[in-house]
Amino acid sequence: MKKIVLIGMMFIYTLQLNAQFTKATLQATGLTCALCSNAINKALKKVSFVESVESDIKNSSFKIFFKQDAEVSIDLLKDAVEDAGFSVGSLKMTGNFNQVIIQTDHHIKIGNAYFHFLEASKQSLNGENTITIVDKNFVTAKQFKKKSSLSKMACVQTGKAENCCSKDGVPANTRVYHAII
Amino acid sequence: MVNRTVIIIIVFFLSIPFSSKAQPGPGKQTDEIALPAVNGDTIRLSSLKGKVVLLDFWASWCGPCRNSNKQLTKLYSKFKDKGFEILGVSLDSEINDWKKAIKKDKINWLQVIDNGGWEARTAIAWRINAIPTSYLIDRNGKLVGMDLEGKDLEKALKDILSK
Repeated sequence: MKKIVLIGMMFIYTLQLNAQFTKATLQATGLTCALCSNAINKALKKVSFVESVESDIKNSSFKIFFKQDAEVSIDLLKDAVEDAGFSVGSLKMTGNFNQVIIQTDHHIKIGNAYFHFLEASKQSLNGENTITIVDKNFVTAKQFKKKSSLSKMACVQTGKAENCCSKDGVPANTRVYHAII
Repeated sequence: MVNRTVIIIIVFFLSIPFSSKAQPGPGKQTDEIALPAVNGDTIRLSSLKGKVVLLDFWASWCGPCRNSNKQLTKLYSKFKDKGFEILGVSLDSEINDWKKAIKKDKINWLQVIDNGGWEARTAIAWRINAIPTSYLIDRNGKLVGMDLEGKDLEKALKDILSK
């Protein structure tokens, strides 16, 4: 009996998680050559849900692989880069999606966090997909200005749920990531 | 309980040789480096005793390192006949990238490779956390400077070469 309940709970849990991020591609910017320092590499490896980090020399970026089924926090990746003395210039998140319906200016839960797509035709994401985070401090200041102008909603500027997000059922003050695909 | 004490004592003694391997600093005798050159021959740092050596850690993909190569070219031609040698240690993973960079930058000083990136044994032994990183080593194999560049490097070189 216990077993059945457990399997049932696991099933419900799997159903709830409509997507799981598996890896990321990160570009760092700073005064010096980001790949020439081992600091970012080291800082990223220390993040609890990170399995491994590879330097992608050709694209001057870091490939970050996540531990299986781990709860991924996008903000913690950024914090690690900043603690190493650099900033995030670009962050692409790749994951497995299970019928995640996205639409411009709608707030949806992907995995454990809320996302707001600034530029996306209405579509259902299935299988492996990559999204780009365009929140403040995840892109260059210039890029942020450009991307944030795509939406008039207040949450784009703050990265947190504002009045605009309540119609999609996002609790006030919850972290909302802004993305493009 | 006795077991635990024994283990602690063993761990303590095992840790001694590691803890003494602190970051290479001035006045310290250098650790041996024995790595392959482009032609496959092994070059040893110890074989350069008697010369003033600039040990230069770099990689082909490191922009600042490539700029530094240009500076080193001038410095090398100026001092190589006065007992100065450069030993470049590349951390490139791709040996071909390294070879191409040597050709492109017209490097004519000694070059070896430990192709494991930050995890390369030499990089770990020398505590390399960023490249370029360089060490200036005197005729007796002792460290006399770290990350000297441009005029500072030239001045330090003149000083120890005249000794």
